[in-house]
Amino acid sequence: MSALTPARPGSASSSSASGRGSTTTSASDGRPPRRGLTGLQRAFGRHPIGVLLALPYAVFLAAVFAYPVVLAAWMSVHDWFFSAPGVEVDHPFVGFENYRQVLTDPQVHQAFLNIAVFLVINVPLTVALALVLAVALNRAARGRTFFRVAFYVPYVTASVALVGVWLFLLGGDGVVNSLLGPLAPDPSWLVNSSLAMPSIAGFVAWKQLGFFVLLYLAALQNVSKDLYEAASMDGAGRVRQFFTVTVPGVRTTTALVVILATITGANLFTEPYLLTGGGGPDGASTSPVLLMYQLGIEQGNPDTASALGIVLVVLVGLLVLLNRRLLRSES
Amino acid sequence: MRTSARWGAVAAAVLLTATTAACGGGQGPGNPQGRGPITIWLSNNEQEVAWGEEQVKAWNAAHPDQRVTAQQIPAGKSSEEVIGAAIAAGTTPCLIYNTSPAAVPQFVKQGGLVPLDTMPGGEDYITQRTGQAAEQYRSPDGHFYQLPWKSNPVMVIYNKTLFAKAGLDPEDPQLSTYDDVLAASEKIVSSGAAPSAIWPSPASQFFQSWFDMYPLYAAASGGQQLVVDGEAQVDSQAALDAAGFWRQMYAKDLSPKEAYTGDAFADGKAAMAMVGPWAVSVYGKDVDWGVVPVPTPNGEPADQVHTFSDAKNVSLPVACQDQATAWDFLQFTTSADADRALLTETGQMPMRADVARTYADWFASPDGAPYAPFAQQAARTVEVPNVKNSVEIWQDVRNAWTGSVIFGKEPVDSALRDANGEVQHLLEVP
Amino acid sequence: MSTTTTAVREQRPDQQPTKRGGASRWVVPAVLTLGALAFLLPFYLMVIGSLQAEPDTSISGLVPSGGLTGANYANIDGSIDLWRTLLNSGVITGGAIVGTLVFGVLAGYALAVLHFRGRGTLFAMVLLVQVIPFQLLTIPLYVLTVRTYGLADSYLGMVLPFLVNTTAVFVFRQFFLQLPPDLFSAARIDGASELRVLWSVALPLVRPALLTVVLLTFIGPWNEFLWPFLVTKEASMQPLAVALANYTANVAATTSNPYGAVLAGSVVLAAPAVGLFLVFQRHFTATNLSAGVKG
Repeated sequence: MSALTPARPGSASSSSASGRGSTTTSASDGRPPRRGLTGLQRAFGRHPIGVLLALPYAVFLAAVFAYPVVLAAWMSVHDWFFSAPGVEVDHPFVGFENYRQVLTDPQVHQAFLNIAVFLVINVPLTVALALVLAVALNRAARGRTFFRVAFYVPYVTASVALVGVWLFLLGGDGVVNSLLGPLAPDPSWLVNSSLAMPSIAGFVAWKQLGFFVLLYLAALQNVSKDLYEAASMDGAGRVRQFFTVTVPGVRTTTALVVILATITGANLFTEPYLLTGGGGPDGASTSPVLLMYQLGIEQGNPDTASALGIVLVVLVGLLVLLNRRLLRSES
Repeated sequence: MRTSARWGAVAAAVLLTATTAACGGGQGPGNPQGRGPITIWLSNNEQEVAWGEEQVKAWNAAHPDQRVTAQQIPAGKSSEEVIGAAIAAGTTPCLIYNTSPAAVPQFVKQGGLVPLDTMPGGEDYITQRTGQAAEQYRSPDGHFYQLPWKSNPVMVIYNKTLFAKAGLDPEDPQLSTYDDVLAASEKIVSSGAAPSAIWPSPASQFFQSWFDMYPLYAAASGGQQLVVDGEAQVDSQAALDAAGFWRQMYAKDLSPKEAYTGDAFADGKAAMAMVGPWAVSVYGKDVDWGVVPVPTPNGEPADQVHTFSDAKNVSLPVACQDQATAWDFLQFTTSADADRALLTETGQMPMRADVARTYADWFASPDGAPYAPFAQQAARTVEVPNVKNSVEIWQDVRNAWTGSVIFGKEPVDSALRDANGEVQHLLEVP
Repeated sequence: MSTTTTAVREQRPDQQPTKRGGASRWVVPAVLTLGALAFLLPFYLMVIGSLQAEPDTSISGLVPSGGLTGANYANIDGSIDLWRTLLNSGVITGGAIVGTLVFGVLAGYALAVLHFRGRGTLFAMVLLVQVIPFQLLTIPLYVLTVRTYGLADSYLGMVLPFLVNTTAVFVFRQFFLQLPPDLFSAARIDGASELRVLWSVALPLVRPALLTVVLLTFIGPWNEFLWPFLVTKEASMQPLAVALANYTANVAATTSNPYGAVLAGSVVLAAPAVGLFLVFQRHFTATNLSAGVKG
């Protein structure tokens, strides 16, 4: 079983080597089909019913996402704002002017740098903690229900609610600093320009962890027990088993977790908006989405906000593809 | 590949729908002579809702054919987003009793608001009710797209108990010059009366400057806006003075650089706060407080100090179908009687030419007395400039402020000079 | 959920041979307890804070010594029609779950197992959609929903962007991919239709994924504030998150203990979610996939 399938059909699974081929053939010869079944297959691929099954979702995507995204791309190369219905407004084409504005803005540079810091801390932390906790939970003899619920509670609670408590924990005279005593950082966590982003990365890891633990838990059920037995026979201890059996066994899920965590991180908004008062101190925790919100929604410039959004989407898209490549090539 | 060709076609079709949906179609602008049932938006502040519902009830009893329905939108920062989105979608109500003056230029640019001076008697109604102060709400094209409704003039409130603890005179505190406030602040903190002297939000949202920088700037400049005759004043002497004062407050740890969860003044973590008259009902019972005008560099007499108005106004969106009813209802709810009800029920200052004298009887009563200083101050308020790119301008100011004044990462002078250049650019771009 | 039952067995550690049972006997509980503490302490603070009449931000406030009150909760109950808003939240969330389970499973299955024209493009879309920040879409989507589709003040309008959770489709696909392809070939040779294969063979095997996803889908619409707020202005249509956000914003401006009010609001919002999780959590435990695969 391959760990991750590529975006294109054809190498999705071992049995599908001919999938792409038949599609391309029927597409390129373009003749009317001769017999019913083959015709359908020629038009829609080897499993025509797939079109039917995927159709509602495709329609949903087109109606709810394609429209705004295409509009965003359109806006990003025009001088655009949202006018009231019936108001005649000129939206001249401006080429890449909006992109130029966005890409030369030092605040934007800082925001992308901040996100890089966030991802470097948050993603490995998330993967490691989620896997360790899932394995521990899977082995727990008692109290599983309690622990599972405990891990999940932050995930189901709205960020707005948790932020209040975390401000209290990480504040200058908060609980964490009181525990650290003289070791407490000065300035404190959220107003320290080198600690603000790591603090947010930690908070987000903590908040999202429950969901990723659940993903790993489900994946652990698929790791064959025979493998553990075999490893055990070979004299491997728990720690060795973890690295030689568990880690490879949940690769698919690790890839999923990495990608989801990367995407969540790149779309960071609520936490800097609330936890560090709009990206403070002095922009040390601004994120691209926070800037988009300021530009597009607060300041009424959806055109430059869209340009920033498209840049972000492209960068994250590349990052996700890179992740997939890296994780696949390891197998 | 045909596959991508087909998806390309889908995308093109979607794009077509998108442009038609966003450019034209929808219902046209409403009818200035129209009469009929209308919907209005109130802020979700409890007292304001109660006031609004009384007004609606009284109106509906007299006008059964032009019934008004009230709905609530958030009082705080998200209301501008909601209004902006509703204008774009054509789903605005007929009156919005929660319009921030800083957002009006944006709504006007969207083509979303009716110029109220084009309604019958509109110009006179606004200028006579509000007086000279109304001019601050006139847009650059000469129209009134907002009715100046109520203000919350910002003043300095102080905790008498904590002042006494710090060895300061609680009945006659010396807080009129910057040096006075700094000296008092140092005493408050060094005596341990409170961990901080005054705790404005150090956060980076664009509107935060209205509650630390702008009131002091308005006072130091003798009542000028941030933009004077098209010239940005971000690095003017008044702005530099105000910034210098706050820089010292932060540098000496008299004001914390960190946001407080909750209300620092109510919790006794700060001995002073910058507040509007809403504070009377919030702190009234729990804190023994006094109130003074914001400080100035040289200590202007209290009856000459200006401050930021923190006003909320009423606007009439173009999508309203029955604009004549809306205009009548707007006048009905801003009459002398309706304003009296607003004042006595919410404590906010109706933007009338002379609030203190018009309602002198109430300010002399035990209920109204705590509000009297705010009514005096209401005569000298400064609004945010009514210019394009308003929100963006305030964000630039705020960014410079957090970097230099709050965190001291760069000199105040150069930070404000750079910000002034950016603001000037935003004022001049076509 | 399915007629074909698979052996539901929990993997017990004691069933596994181990040579270092001594060490792992305390390592596992220690890790779990540490984790639980880290997760629950802030939550504990939240509950305590919501019960305090006056905010106590000192360390000693961690262990309350009397002075607890339900006033913050009583205020909420007095200002919000809790049942009505809960019902609205339930309708929206339920719609999102049903939509995701029906359309999402179909799409995830098709993407993982079937070969059809446009599959690559569709999957590229699945990836793209996840990468797109919602802030980029909010206003265009709002204009479309309200102006073009005319769905203001309706449940459908509120549920629309959440109708099929794309992350869920992605997870479904990932889980279907883990099933050995021979399984499907065998079923097809037996003459089973594709829907039959999905229903009787594939679905029972990915049950953990299904339930995981129900929870995943649940959280977004349940906690969402801005979207339902934009779409509804009728108070009777608003979900709990919107009503509570309105309430706390309002209360925070007019009370001297905004902290307690906000925290009480959070607890009220989180409680039903946690409660539901408690009820359904046992379904998350292992449906032993390998047992099913081996037949």
